Amino acid sequence: MLSALRSRAHSLSSPSIRQPWLWKLNQSSPFSSLTRDKDGRTEILKLDEIEKVLSEVRADDIKVIRVGDQCDLTDYMVFATGRSSWHVRNIAQALVYKAGGYFAKDICKAMVHDFYHGNYRSYIMILNYIAKQKQKEAKRMLLPSVEGEESGNWIVVDSGSVIVHALDEKARAYYDLESRWAKEKPPAESSQELDTALVKVRRKNNSKKRVQANA
Amino acid sequence: MIQPQTHLNVADNSGARELMCIRIIGASNRRYARIGDVIVAVIKEAIPNTPLERSEVIRAVIVRTCKELKRANGMIIRYDDNAAVIIDQEGNPKGTRIFGAIARELRQNFTKIVSLAPEVL
Repeated sequence: MLSALRSRAHSLSSPSIRQPWLWKLNQSSPFSSLTRDKDGRTEILKLDEIEKVLSEVRADDIKVIRVGDQCDLTDYMVFATGRSSWHVRNIAQALVYKAGGYFAKDICKAMVHDFYHGNYRSYIMILNYIAKQKQKEAKRMLLPSVEGEESGNWIVVDSGSVIVHALDEKARAYYDLESRWAKEKPPAESSQELDTALVKVRRKNNSKKRVQANA
Repeated sequence: MIQPQTHLNVADNSGARELMCIRIIGASNRRYARIGDVIVAVIKEAIPNTPLERSEVIRAVIVRTCKELKRANGMIIRYDDNAAVIIDQEGNPKGTRIFGAIARELRQNFTKIVSLAPEVL
């Protein structure tokens, strides 16, 4: 009876997405989904993969800006230019396709791993229970959200820790997003400038003292 | 709680200064719009020599409301003004920069606006 249940549970849960826990995330909470980076954000697409995809679809002028220290929205912003709205749409679709492929690969890996190591049995009951609930959620988390696909002059692919902006040349020049995000670095410098400015004020005070001393 | 006839500030550099809500996009007889909702508005006041003019009908996303916004974790956000960002039919913002703080809720549907914003709450 138990063995029958187990085998059934196995057959039910083996294609499920929850399997990656077994070998990947023993140390962390089993409720984390897919892969997570060190900050605990879900990672659907990885940065190097995005760069690879972008170069494959021949996006021009790819720029990666690290924005993790400026805002807590995301870690990286990637900007890419497409030659036409068709090309821009293609860039976005390639990224979404890549995200889907990554997901499938993850499952396959987990299944192969399970096949070699029979260590899933203790988890199987829990898995079977959670799998059904989590599967739905995982399916929702599977693909990055895509915005602006109808117009095709600015498409945003938001995959959690990385946001990819695919723009045509006009839109890129018009919105000038890089300067907005690169500009945030100067404030750090300007705050240093502010410090020096404050120091200067003190110096002025000193000079006044000198004036008083002279008087 | 934005309803028709509500006046809103404009939180971008599109050239409009003040809007009046005339319709809320969504259901057929929707009463109030909140943060993240799209409204149809008419420009009541505009900066001279900009592409947008007074009495032009446009679409806008509400980014700040005086009515408090409640989050699931118990956080409450309310702003001092009602403000909106002008968008076109495809959801692209008309202006290139956005002023003031913006709620995180906009990321779901308006990542573009969020990525232009100076501060996200």
